[in-house]
Amino acid sequence: MTRILDPKDKYYIDNPGRVKAIQKEMHKRGIDVYLGSRIRTMSFVMDTFCPWRSYLIIPPEGQPTYFTFVVDSMRVGDETWLDSDHVRAYGPMGGMDQVSAITDYIKEEVGITKGRIGYEDGISTYTAEGNLTHWEYTHFKDALPGFEWVNSHDIIDVLSLIKDKGTIERFRTASLIVDEGHKAARAALEHGGYKGMTETVIAGIAALAMRRAGSVSEWNFAGLNEISSGFRTGLGACTPPTTKEIKAGEPLMLDFHAMFKLALGDHSHNYLIGPATKRQRWHADNFVAIVQKVIDNYRAGTTPGTLAAMMMDFAESRGCGDFIQPACEHGIGLFGDEWRIGAIVNPDLPYWTDQDHVYQENEMVVCAMQYAAPEENIGFRYENDIVIIKGGCEILSKYPLGIEEIS
Amino acid sequence: MSELHAYLGPSWRDEAIKRLQTELTPEKMNKVTTSMSNIYKNCPGGTEMFLFVECKDGKVTRVETGTGEPPKAEFLIIGNYETFARISRAELGAQKALMTGKLKLKGNLAKALKLAAVSDRMNKVLAQIPTQY
Repeated sequence: MTRILDPKDKYYIDNPGRVKAIQKEMHKRGIDVYLGSRIRTMSFVMDTFCPWRSYLIIPPEGQPTYFTFVVDSMRVGDETWLDSDHVRAYGPMGGMDQVSAITDYIKEEVGITKGRIGYEDGISTYTAEGNLTHWEYTHFKDALPGFEWVNSHDIIDVLSLIKDKGTIERFRTASLIVDEGHKAARAALEHGGYKGMTETVIAGIAALAMRRAGSVSEWNFAGLNEISSGFRTGLGACTPPTTKEIKAGEPLMLDFHAMFKLALGDHSHNYLIGPATKRQRWHADNFVAIVQKVIDNYRAGTTPGTLAAMMMDFAESRGCGDFIQPACEHGIGLFGDEWRIGAIVNPDLPYWTDQDHVYQENEMVVCAMQYAAPEENIGFRYENDIVIIKGGCEILSKYPLGIEEIS
Repeated sequence: MSELHAYLGPSWRDEAIKRLQTELTPEKMNKVTTSMSNIYKNCPGGTEMFLFVECKDGKVTRVETGTGEPPKAEFLIIGNYETFARISRAELGAQKALMTGKLKLKGNLAKALKLAAVSDRMNKVLAQIPTQY
């Protein structure tokens, strides 16, 4: 059954309003129909988890129509706000393959046989981005010969940059859910509980606590809850958990992820499993100070480039510049939107974060820092969803910043 | 031996609606309201024909055959005459014909799949009509 939108719900998102905003921009650009294919586009418009290859056809006016793999169309239809006539399926049947179903729909039901079609292309570090593939582009183009194809992903990118109230509320809740994971992990590790425990087990303990608190997924495609211990903490910023045991005298990094109504909670917290050496403590104190320094400087009007330079200068002043990686955030939005900052495609370095992007109020990023000293078998990670506000930022995970020694 | 009805001819159409109404109760038809047109390409003689079936609340209310533009239907199934004939003779499953691209469906697939069993029941009834292809 189609979901009824309730403007009084604190998590309400005005999805019909989003569609109208997209259509207004299409009109300004002379785009007759939009063919969306990225996960972030589905999340932004459908407000539903759309994991299978999907396409969203946005006409000049009225409701968009969503196409997905037939195995999932009924479930999506049950969860989205679009009515059932606008949730369609493609599948392995004559006339129902992706290209036939969608191009027939555009020609016969939308009633447009020539004009300009917006589509989504680009490059990303994020595997599941969902840009139109070359095969799709070629075959859609052959089936719609009267159309000029215009790469238009920036329509969605610009509109999704500033988060509305409902979206921010969802992120607040998702972040508090992540904190439940951290509390459960802390309780399981202390008083020697870590002994014999593997990275995978602590990931699961946190996952259970977060699920109990309302998370529907540990959404991160790079290993769900990312855990590293010992030398693995120094290996960088992607650490799917392994069966390595957590041991005394080693650092431990816990990077937990929770999803609530497509909002992505993401918080990393670090420990030293005692006894810690003075050198380990020095590294830990450096990292906490750097994180605090960066957080103190987020505000509307600053830029990623400014923050990174300030962070590096600060690290250098503490004698740990060699250990900090030179960036302090990644983008975040509803599921599928978690990479570059800003909406501008910088021609000098396309599809990477625009270092000159000027943060605005109610933008969100994941404040993300990675400290790595692989030769010393130590590293730390910080991630936390933040909302940019006028004079600073709102940190959504409330788990206290710090690197405790536990034993 | 029963009289043979020319496939898609007037007597075949009359026999089809009679059998569908008699043998398929609204319950067996899941009380569906829908309509579909089969478009037969490359018919003997080179013509194009259609078979239109309409159900209201599970009761088959219309069966029409003919040439030219079919009545507007919720679903269109397009294929060669021989493919449909093979399905009617139970030599080829309708699902297989769709899944191999021998038939093309137009309409909302998600809804069509809900009607797959109903469609099969109708095909089985139609396959019992003594037919001259």
